[in-house]
Amino acid sequence: MLIPCPHCGPRDLSEFSYQGDATRTRPDPASTDMKAWHDYVYNRPNPAGPHREYWQHAGGCRTHLLVTRDTLTHEVQAVAFARAALNDGAGKP
Amino acid sequence: MVERISPLGEAFRPGTYGNLVDGPGVTLTEATPAAIAEASAFPGSAEALLGAIETVTGLSLPATPGAGAVGGDAAAFAIGPGRHLVAGAEGLSASLQAAVALDIGTVTDLSHGRAALRIAGPRAEWVLAKLFALDFSPAAFPLSEGRATAHHDIFAHIQRTGGEQFDIYVFRSFARAFWEEICAAAAETGYEVR
Amino acid sequence: MSARRIPTGGLIDRSRTVPFTFDGKAYTGFAGDTLAAALLANGITLIGRSFKYHRPRGVFTAGVDEPNALVTVFKDGLREPNIPATQIELYEGLEAESQNRFPSLDYDINALNQLAGPLFGAGFYYKTFMGPVVGPLKGTGFWMFCEHFIRRAAGLGRAGYDKDPVRYERMNAFCDVLVVGAGPAGLMAAEAAAKAGKRVILAEQEPRTGGTANWSGEAIGGRQAALWAEAAVGRLTAMDNVRLLTRTAVWGYYDGNNLAALERVGDHLAAPPKGAPRHRHWSIRAEKVVLATGSFERPIVFPGNDRPGVMLAGAAERYANEFGVLPGEKIAVFTNNDGAYRAAAALKKAGGAVVAILDVRPEISAAARALAEEAGVVPLLGHAVVGTAGKRLAKVLIQRFDAATGRLSGDVRPVEADCLAVSGGWSPAIHLASQAGRNPAWDDRLNAFLPPQPTQEWTGAGAFTGTMRTAEALSTGRDAGLIAAGKKASRAKLPEVAAPAVEINPAPVFEIKADGKAFVDLQNDVTADDVRLAHREGFLSVEHLKRYTTLGMATDQGKTSNVPGLAIMAGARGLAIPDVGTTRFRPPFSPVSIGSLAAEKHGHFKPDRLTPMHDWHVERGARMMEVGLWHRPMIYGGAGETVEQAYIREAATVRASVGIVDVSTLGKIAVKGPDAAEFLDRVYTNMFSTLAVGKARYGLMLREDGIALDDGTTWRLGEHDFLMTTTTANAGKVMQHLEYFLDVVWPDLKVHLTSVTDQWAGAAVAGPNARKLLEACVTGTAVDNEALPFMGIVHGGIAGAPVMICRLSFSGERAYEVYCGAGHGTHVWEALMEAGEPFGIAPYGMEALGTLRIEKGHVTGAEIDGRTTARDLYLDWMLSKKKPFIGSALMDREGLIDTNRIRLVGVVSLDGQPLGGGAHIVENGSLEELGESIGHITAFCYSPALSKYIGLALVKGGKARHGTRAFVSDALRKRFGPVEIVSHHFFDPEGSRMHG
Repeated sequence: MLIPCPHCGPRDLSEFSYQGDATRTRPDPASTDMKAWHDYVYNRPNPAGPHREYWQHAGGCRTHLLVTRDTLTHEVQAVAFARAALNDGAGKP
Repeated sequence: MVERISPLGEAFRPGTYGNLVDGPGVTLTEATPAAIAEASAFPGSAEALLGAIETVTGLSLPATPGAGAVGGDAAAFAIGPGRHLVAGAEGLSASLQAAVALDIGTVTDLSHGRAALRIAGPRAEWVLAKLFALDFSPAAFPLSEGRATAHHDIFAHIQRTGGEQFDIYVFRSFARAFWEEICAAAAETGYEVR
Repeated sequence: MSARRIPTGGLIDRSRTVPFTFDGKAYTGFAGDTLAAALLANGITLIGRSFKYHRPRGVFTAGVDEPNALVTVFKDGLREPNIPATQIELYEGLEAESQNRFPSLDYDINALNQLAGPLFGAGFYYKTFMGPVVGPLKGTGFWMFCEHFIRRAAGLGRAGYDKDPVRYERMNAFCDVLVVGAGPAGLMAAEAAAKAGKRVILAEQEPRTGGTANWSGEAIGGRQAALWAEAAVGRLTAMDNVRLLTRTAVWGYYDGNNLAALERVGDHLAAPPKGAPRHRHWSIRAEKVVLATGSFERPIVFPGNDRPGVMLAGAAERYANEFGVLPGEKIAVFTNNDGAYRAAAALKKAGGAVVAILDVRPEISAAARALAEEAGVVPLLGHAVVGTAGKRLAKVLIQRFDAATGRLSGDVRPVEADCLAVSGGWSPAIHLASQAGRNPAWDDRLNAFLPPQPTQEWTGAGAFTGTMRTAEALSTGRDAGLIAAGKKASRAKLPEVAAPAVEINPAPVFEIKADGKAFVDLQNDVTADDVRLAHREGFLSVEHLKRYTTLGMATDQGKTSNVPGLAIMAGARGLAIPDVGTTRFRPPFSPVSIGSLAAEKHGHFKPDRLTPMHDWHVERGARMMEVGLWHRPMIYGGAGETVEQAYIREAATVRASVGIVDVSTLGKIAVKGPDAAEFLDRVYTNMFSTLAVGKARYGLMLREDGIALDDGTTWRLGEHDFLMTTTTANAGKVMQHLEYFLDVVWPDLKVHLTSVTDQWAGAAVAGPNARKLLEACVTGTAVDNEALPFMGIVHGGIAGAPVMICRLSFSGERAYEVYCGAGHGTHVWEALMEAGEPFGIAPYGMEALGTLRIEKGHVTGAEIDGRTTARDLYLDWMLSKKKPFIGSALMDREGLIDTNRIRLVGVVSLDGQPLGGGAHIVENGSLEELGESIGHITAFCYSPALSKYIGLALVKGGKARHGTRAFVSDALRKRFGPVEIVSHHFFDPEGSRMHG
């Protein structure tokens, strides 16, 4: 599987670390809503099809990428820098 | 000033090795510059940081992925968005530090933390392709550009510093292991260490 | 030369005679021969014994599809089993041996297995070894006893035990167009793409490019096809945008148009050049791929179809035309299609006697008739082979056959023949396409599967697409190359092909049902009856059939048996072949050496990570140990010292005077930026924004789920400049953890992280005399208690090198960590050693470091093990109540604050015997009765300070058990003995020594 890193270009899967589901929202740090925390830390959807997830280009530019990947075909449908996407609101789950 | 000791130790043995039927295909050298620093911009300050790098080193870099510049005794290239590896003369880190304001970004001295190994010669692309999953052809990897990649556990920042020449920056602790790997990979084409 | 070698012709180099041995006997062949060709030329047709029944077997094919002629090759003192003789190029001194026979190939004792035939049918292993053993043998291990002999008797060649000393390597390649297969179609495709300016890689698994052109006997462009191919290759090699790889089998088609290939660089050479690898693994990333992989001929299944001398018709033709070898003197041909007639004519032309052509069909084409005439024989139509005879083929038994009903009639008649050339039609080699496509489609005309719709970027060409004519190979090849290059198909004139007008559209006859063993899969000894037995036992799906009978497994992956197997199953189920389905072809297409996958990591799995002082340690006789990738001194042993004696001496020297240890391996992360302090407050359980510049603080990090992640000190070097240290083992994990939070959770924070682990050499100087030592060598700063209090940081110099000194203690002694640039590490270390000489300084290793920390009850990765909480480790004093931090929300869950969790304690051995890491703690029991575990030992040592064997442990209830007795229970090391559970602060619990 290749992931087209926006900085480094398409690179092999072996350079990346899977960093989890990108559809979660971290509760407010001071929140005591345990259900919200449990959902954030433990509960994951398992879609057959497009899935938003974080991948770190650990063996490259080290940035976290927001990747939309089809779990059935491994087709990468969209990639963006997670930090930029989150800062401009586009990457919010 | 106390001299820095090379991390290569006895693994660095000048001479010619491997299959020399067609002469050495590559030359291997340690090219660690006097100073190495990482200069990184906060979001929105990439241009300002590049300006600071230019002020200090005279190198002009476009703000595009992988862009780099080589000139004089300095070299710089992007290793990530807004992140650059800068190599140059003694005092580089302090000068950069002084030129980069708190809000613009940060500078971290890596003069001791990274070792630069240089491979040059007609078979350099061939030998490097054994170790890295990168397209080293001049069209895909033009002069002065840089790439961040890894060879198994060894992180590497690579810059094309000549038509047939690449400088590979690795973590100092891995330098000897990587040197031995690159020597083994070059045995097929023959290599000269100097 | 032998009678089997044709006097002229073929592509072998008759000027170079090559000596080799087979089963210890010396023979010769020519350069350009395969081992199979050379053996046939020498009249050797019996090459091996079969997998289960030890039946004599010979050469069945001429290529990668060979199921039978597997041999063991000896080279450089190593044995490599199961190599098809059809894939071994002859080189001077080649040493090969037959397999699976005892005492010799000719007289094999296990051939008796044939008499027990029914016993060894489908599912033999499942039935024999998986059912319950009943009766008098129950519980005796009888089957285990038998299994040993049965397993020995079955199987292929034996692997060797010696370490493989040769080099393997990996190559990463990028191209616009990868063409797989250098037959006529592939050559056309490569040239078309290359002329369009594309970067082209052309990969051919055989040593010789040209494919069928080398043996078809056809003419292309007015000359011999082989010469046309040679000229095409010549043009390609002259282009610098083309890379031609021969002996390179593309074996896997992966996501992202990544293909894996194996180049056999040195196998064909007696002495490969210096530095060359034996095999090279190619990882090829191609924009577009042209699959020109050709097709495989398949046999017809009939009783006795495995006898040495029976081979595929195309293979016989290839041996004659390409290698100049006649596979037999009296050749019979058995076919269901026109293709074999060309083979018959070629064999006759090469000097063989074609004794019969048996065709299952009632009628044949005029072209086939003409070829039969060339072969000098009148074909027997509506005939089939029903049996064979002879250890090596001597007779073929034939009978009248009705292709419409499958019925045999009339008398069985013998035909004397020493070679039977069989053709059951041709199947496109769709293996790679199947890895990168949907389901293959059955073609009724060809009676074969055609390539599927692609799911990746490939186009097909030539026989691969189901067109079996060379003229079409040229046109589809050129078009595929142009399309891959982004151009339109061309109408320009193609080279003229002169070939007989035969059609390879076989009659749908796959099996001749008659008495006797008829093999579907020759390599696995799977018969047609085995397939029917599997059907009767309910293994209907093709995937089940494969696993139950082993049909299509092992080195040839069923290249000759796939379609006949399916056809027989379809017949048994009363279905059409496409309704039975086909198994998906998975990588590898052909066998791949494990060495090539390990590549440069072969025998050397991970890089050595060395500290700046590494050479000093080694020169001083340190015994090094691997800690992750790092090499660290375990002990600096003196003459005659045991490990225990050495670490006790080293640790005692630290407590009594001063010692020095290399701590360069600690993870170090520069945390910089205007929000650095805020960031650290969020990731550590305790506060860092309140830390003064020039001070360090011990910090603890949790995971989001409230479990402890790592600990270490972080130094505030400037207002916005922190140096974080992590444990050696967790450096990478912590870096990634922090990067994740910065990128994904708090993207607004202005903080940068850089790994500076390698920037700094670190030496910890510990002991009551540590300060005096520093006073003797540090310049530019005072190091007294006022200038450098506990957790203080100063900058100065040692022997001319700049240093940064932080006073902190892992050992519990007055101690200092001296950091300098890694390139100055040895220089500063030597200066510290020299300054310590008057105090009797001892360098100490990991064992003493561990001993000192156990005595102090300091935790490391053995206790922060991914299961323990801060409270379990009695670090709750570090959990700030003033702010949220990573893990604060979930750390107080019911299960995590239960006081009966396993928590940190100290244990003291009461019988004066050592403890063991991982040993259980139990309340009662014995060596035999292990008792119920209440926890386990995480670290242990002999404590010179206490003169006892002590350890740290995680025990249920923790502190509540202080002062109680328990036992250490270690069944593995046969250790059971009494311990006392105590506080983990064994030594100087008030910390007066390190603060003093």
